[in-house]
Amino acid sequence: MKQTMKTVLALLLILGISSGYASAQDANELMKKSHLAYFYAGDDGVSDVTMTIVSKKGKERVREFIMIRLDNEEGGDQKYYTYFKKPSDVSRVTFMVHKTSVGNDQRWIYVPSIDLIKPISADDKNSSFVGSDFSYEDVSGRHWTEDNHTLKGEETLDGKTVYVIESIPKEKYKGFSRKVSYIDKESMLPLKEEYYNKKDKLVKEFVAVKIEVVDGITTITTRRMNNIKKGGHTIVDFNKISYNVGVKDEIFTERYLKNPPRKYIKK
Amino acid sequence: MKNITYILALLVLLVVVSPTHAELYTDGYLQGLFGGQLESDNPTKSDQSVSETRLQLRMESIGDNGEFFSRVDFLYDGLADEDNQYDWEIREAYLKFKLGSKLDFKVGRQILTWGTGDLIFINDVFAKDYRSFFLGRDDQYLKAPQTALRMEYYNSIGAFSFVFAPSFESNRLPTGERLSYYNPFIGSIVGTAMDENFYFNPDEPAKTFGNSEFAARFQKQVGMYSVALYFYKGFYKNPLGLDANTMMPVYPRMELHGASIRGAKFGGIVWLEGGYYNSKDDPDGDNPFMPNSSVSGMVGFERQIATGLTANLQWQADKMMEYDSFVAQQTPGLHYREEVKHLITSRVTKMMVDETVMVSGFVFYSPDEEDLYFRFSTTYNYSDEIRLTVGANVFDGNYANTEFGQFSLNDNIYTKMTYNF
Repeated sequence: MKQTMKTVLALLLILGISSGYASAQDANELMKKSHLAYFYAGDDGVSDVTMTIVSKKGKERVREFIMIRLDNEEGGDQKYYTYFKKPSDVSRVTFMVHKTSVGNDQRWIYVPSIDLIKPISADDKNSSFVGSDFSYEDVSGRHWTEDNHTLKGEETLDGKTVYVIESIPKEKYKGFSRKVSYIDKESMLPLKEEYYNKKDKLVKEFVAVKIEVVDGITTITTRRMNNIKKGGHTIVDFNKISYNVGVKDEIFTERYLKNPPRKYIKK
Repeated sequence: MKNITYILALLVLLVVVSPTHAELYTDGYLQGLFGGQLESDNPTKSDQSVSETRLQLRMESIGDNGEFFSRVDFLYDGLADEDNQYDWEIREAYLKFKLGSKLDFKVGRQILTWGTGDLIFINDVFAKDYRSFFLGRDDQYLKAPQTALRMEYYNSIGAFSFVFAPSFESNRLPTGERLSYYNPFIGSIVGTAMDENFYFNPDEPAKTFGNSEFAARFQKQVGMYSVALYFYKGFYKNPLGLDANTMMPVYPRMELHGASIRGAKFGGIVWLEGGYYNSKDDPDGDNPFMPNSSVSGMVGFERQIATGLTANLQWQADKMMEYDSFVAQQTPGLHYREEVKHLITSRVTKMMVDETVMVSGFVFYSPDEEDLYFRFSTTYNYSDEIRLTVGANVFDGNYANTEFGQFSLNDNIYTKMTYNF
């Protein structure tokens, strides 16, 4: 009997250790899958985006733009092209990002009223995207290898089974000190993300409001970021999404920054 | 000139709009700009520096084979004489189209910009409007439009741009009416309040084919860096010469060769640009009425230093050729420039309150010319439509005949309200 107990204990111990190890590895793998499902859907994508920024007092500001994305490498380098439609004072302004999984991204803006192309120093990926509650990194994705991930378990959220994964930045990061993601087991898309600061206080909360299947790809078509620290929130609606339309690499150059590719960019 | 551009705009409009499914889009803004002089002894006619209401209408038509865009300003100028209070200007009216897959054309009234500097222009000799710049108009007004043909050719070597402007377009400089300036014949700062004859409006080169402007650029991306070569053939954009017979200011002929490099480095953006100004009317520097050739170079660095806070620094050095003969031509007792003139500039911009508030300062300072120009503005985006701005332009200098020192009586503050639609 004693012997059996010992064996069971030993077995439990081994299982415990290996499952702990497995959870880190699984969590990493799960985050990678989620990242690819969320930020690398298809090989490219074009969509009309409406961003509604709501202040603490309920005042609304609306940005409308067209976003073109091209994945040069699944999970690696990406390029983004943005054409602003509204508000009217930034209409026709274009913006381009060459995103690298290693090192800093490169960003350019073109201001048509002065025919000016300007590279933007892109040191701070955590700065706000066009004044919204989304940071640049929230829009284009923080690479999963920059954080350590732990699988905390499974839960049910809005009737869906989700993985609960905790992520801690490997290097000190302004965006969060800890993030908890609730990832839909089926689509691998994040249904909710909670961002905690140094004092482990919830500061920001991401919610996937609406999920639809577009061109066979499950897509979050309405996203919301609640700014718990400052109050207020931002809602992002993706309309007219199309995937795998054959976006060419040459679009992400100064030539097209000055001359929007009309194939994708209409009013 | 206005008539020509007007007819051109109409023609272009007809060409593009005629295809069946081109659609027309319009937007624009209504803006009030009011400014006051800070120096009571400025020899200009009004204590106000600016008082104007502006309606900008933008029209865009995108067809299958090309695009048309126009930006037209209608202006009510509260400081003008009664007959001249209403004015309008075609800021842009151009047609854009492609020929094949490698050639892009832009034809018509347009704003042209290239080069790497932040408000320092070495190879960008397209027309500027310093009157607007000094009075607090929006940044877009620093660039004056030109009627031109721009052709850009792209291939695996790089991007080739060619700009042909059939008639010379000068910089818009202070005239003495709203902004005073230094008059070398009088030896002091003058304005139209002293004498109507001080209205500064020099004759431009005759509108002949030989006086047209030509500019070219070759640009290539090399790794993380954008490298460019420039060429320009035309005239100095400021009337730096004197007609020896009439003793009136003239625009001397000039040819420019330059290069630049810009890219990400040290956690920010670094740029380096240089150019050689070849004064074609005074190749040996011995003509006292014409500017000497010069070499100009600059280096700049910009980076984000905190969330929403960006700062940059630029240093420009300008070396005059044949300096000895220049010195020999100078009037004793008057300040004149050093052989190498330095200019240091810095811009600091802070975005606050979810990027609805922007505070920005820009300073130009020359340690050897002992003058400076400081621009300050705060903009508040009350909503997507309504924007409020207050700002100031401050000039100072130890000598009345330096680049910024001559404007030292023009210090002004302004307020601006914009309704975007």
